[in-house]
Amino acid sequence: MSIQEHYRSRAKELLSSGTVKMVIGYGTGSTPDRRRPVFITSPDETDRLVLDKACRTNLSGYLLREGLLSDQKQVAVFFNLDGVRSLNILAAESQLETAQVLVLGFRIEGEEVTALQGERAADFKSLIAAAKEQRKSQPPHELQEKLEAMTPKERFSFWEAEFSRCIKCYACRQACPMCWCRRCVVDNNQPQWVNTSSHTLGNLEWNLLRAFHLAGRCVECGNCSRACPADIPLHLLNRRMSDEVQGSFDHYPGMDEAQEPVLASFRKDDPETFIL
Amino acid sequence: MAKIGVFVCHCGENIAAKVDCTKLKAAMESHPGVSIATEYKYFCSDPGQESIKKAIVEQGLTGVIVAACSPRMHEATFRKACAAAGLNPYLCEIANIREQCSWVHSDGDEATEKAIEITRSLVEKVKRNNELQPILVPVTKRALVIGGGIAGIQAALDIANAGGEVVLVEREASLGGHMAQLSETFPTLDCSQCIMTPRMVEAAQHPNIRLLTYAEIEKVEGFIGNFHVRVKMKARYVDMQACTGCGDCIQKCPQKKISGEFDCGLANRPAIYTPFAQAVPNKPVIDSRHCTYFKNGKCKVCVKVCQTNAINFDMQDEYLDLEIGAIVVATGFQIQDTSLYGEYGYGRYPDVVTGLQFERLASASGPTGGRIARPSDGKEPETVVFIQCAGSRDPSKGVSYCSKICCMYTAKHAMLYAHKNHHGTSRVFYMDIRAAGKGYDEFTRRAIEEDGAGYIRGRVSKLWQENGKLMVRGVDTLLGKPVEVPADMVVLATAMVPQPDAKEFAKTLGIGCDEYGFFNEAHMKLRPVETATAGIFLAGACQSPKDIPDSVAQASAAASKVLALFSREKLEREPIIAMNNEATCSGCWGCVLACPYNAIEKKDITDRAGNLIRRVASVNPGLCQGCGTCVTFCRSNSIDLAGFTEKQIFAAVMGL
Repeated sequence: MSIQEHYRSRAKELLSSGTVKMVIGYGTGSTPDRRRPVFITSPDETDRLVLDKACRTNLSGYLLREGLLSDQKQVAVFFNLDGVRSLNILAAESQLETAQVLVLGFRIEGEEVTALQGERAADFKSLIAAAKEQRKSQPPHELQEKLEAMTPKERFSFWEAEFSRCIKCYACRQACPMCWCRRCVVDNNQPQWVNTSSHTLGNLEWNLLRAFHLAGRCVECGNCSRACPADIPLHLLNRRMSDEVQGSFDHYPGMDEAQEPVLASFRKDDPETFIL
Repeated sequence: MAKIGVFVCHCGENIAAKVDCTKLKAAMESHPGVSIATEYKYFCSDPGQESIKKAIVEQGLTGVIVAACSPRMHEATFRKACAAAGLNPYLCEIANIREQCSWVHSDGDEATEKAIEITRSLVEKVKRNNELQPILVPVTKRALVIGGGIAGIQAALDIANAGGEVVLVEREASLGGHMAQLSETFPTLDCSQCIMTPRMVEAAQHPNIRLLTYAEIEKVEGFIGNFHVRVKMKARYVDMQACTGCGDCIQKCPQKKISGEFDCGLANRPAIYTPFAQAVPNKPVIDSRHCTYFKNGKCKVCVKVCQTNAINFDMQDEYLDLEIGAIVVATGFQIQDTSLYGEYGYGRYPDVVTGLQFERLASASGPTGGRIARPSDGKEPETVVFIQCAGSRDPSKGVSYCSKICCMYTAKHAMLYAHKNHHGTSRVFYMDIRAAGKGYDEFTRRAIEEDGAGYIRGRVSKLWQENGKLMVRGVDTLLGKPVEVPADMVVLATAMVPQPDAKEFAKTLGIGCDEYGFFNEAHMKLRPVETATAGIFLAGACQSPKDIPDSVAQASAAASKVLALFSREKLEREPIIAMNNEATCSGCWGCVLACPYNAIEKKDITDRAGNLIRRVASVNPGLCQGCGTCVTFCRSNSIDLAGFTEKQIFAAVMGL
């Protein structure tokens, strides 16, 4: 049985037994290489579920739709490992409880999609720990390497050029599972700290501010870059921040639901390299 | 409509010499919202303050800007004046055009431009200021004294004698600290224990002092007047209530060969022991690292001999939570690790000892009963060489400061040696003799002139053993010649260093320390007893090397600071506290984690039927210190700081 068939029948089972009230998964998209989220509530509809190598979107953000989890019932969600990590962060930040979320785990490697063992966020602890170690030895992204080699001035012009395409549609914010604030700081106009105009300064302010708000929280799922209609490589900013928190504080976001946010907690042996 | 008064102070020549105050005044007069702008030589003077009050009343001002010195200097003065004229004091702001402008710039025109910008910025802020009311917080009239040496005991007694309640915490099994180890004390040569032990007993028996020995500070939270302290009571394995202190267990303990800390390794002690004979409390503890029962599961000789069943091997560490109003830190010092000085042979030659070991040898309660004898063979040394600055004033070994007490105690050692061995010879290698203090120089002269101590100005380069003698090679810089002295015993005046865990402990307390680990005072000259953290005071050698009189004096000073605090029923706190916007708060509790004062609570938001809808952060105004950490952490900008709201800061920045 293919993994898609396996999970379709598992979804049917979960819905017909009443274990979950909804399955959030992937359906066919507008083009063959795109997938669209589907929200299945009836066992008869599970055939709409698709699972293949195009299923890259992190679906955890949909769990925060106001009222979805307030009835204490369970929801099953298709997650790769990044998705499970973001689930852990949402729980650590008190936005949901993992007991309400059943994980249908999968991993994409090249052409192959395999199932991950476990159904609760906590079941993936050792896999996440392994991913943390693996990240340390991962070679940097090609473009990232190019950016690191640039002088600060060159790098600034690079990003200035990239951000000049930004149209302030906030699709990155909409797609990001970590952008769950009831009111985004950019929507606060008393006072208007962040310039909302779509000019160089406003665009820089917005994108850098978002990168800072994601420091130590981003699981590098790539939702932001995929959502960006201007194809700005936003994930590189977040990746750079992740390198920083992992290198300085050995912090890998989403290890478990008890993890403290790296910027609001401290250990006595934290490096103090920023104090001159 | 805002009616702002701007008062430009000349500060004599301090501001007026650089900043064109008339131009500043004129610029402010035409600024929107400003009703009146005036200049004057000294607004902090009586007539100056009167003119501000008059303007408030006559013009009906809604805000006041005093363009003058740093708000640290006179913010309180001017706010008080405003309050006297009926204006809420938080509608008065200081534009600092002295420290941040006239004092630091050489070009008058540019300085004037900058002064205009600074003042305009504050005018924009004060337009958006709100009336605030001070917050009253109670004071817990109970002091915590950390460290049971002479400084801690003195501070505890002074507070207790004035009627204050004290908790005195000592991490060793007995009070006493280093002073209890000393033989005689300079410059009067009275016996250290004879003057120390009565104080120890007094502290232990004082009705206002709760003594916790063998205890350590685990956690300190809260703020001035309202600290929450967790004390770890280390397991003694001896029931303090049941034990009579008879000492049978100490006599019978088969494990006797443990190097005794109190005698600096010159004598052994058993596994169940009191640190010294006059210990307070005079009840033993079991050293579980060396006890045969803890190591092998067998023995229990102490249990068998104890007639009151006081031994309890199942005892666990216990934790005690205390409510404390003020803290005196008197954690003392240690002596530097002498093994750093390979050239002096410490550790290699048993007859090379530290100054503290010499104290034990000279002490009547010491391992030799006060006979100065060589550790190697017990013979009385014929020649003793004292090496001063064995560690101090030597940046290459990490201690560049002077340990302050060594010149005096070395003179005392030479004197004690002369008194006990009339035929002996003593030689002292020194860099300088630093004997500033009442009766101190006379004391060192006495050691040289009456007790025959031979002082050689120079350092020792090498020390080796030859024909049963310790050969000390140094230089006499006054003669410009190398010297070699054959000695029977060598005493190193080792440096005073902070406790090894001092830096760590400074973090626990939330106070600062210097590069070595000595705790920082708030101001070296004018606030030498306070730390930068309100309600925490320093006493004794934990701050810097000190002798006994200095430690005692500082301890009494710290006690007076505590008592001044306890003389008030309530502390008036600035109403600069955080406020949360419940409509936009997402309840992520980042602020709860970030808050160093535990001032943020979780509040339920319910619907009309009482069903929980969501939970949001809520600031407890009694606990909030207005540090603003939560404000910076809140991603959605839901938290704001009264008196420094985002709107006010934004207006001030945009006004520049």
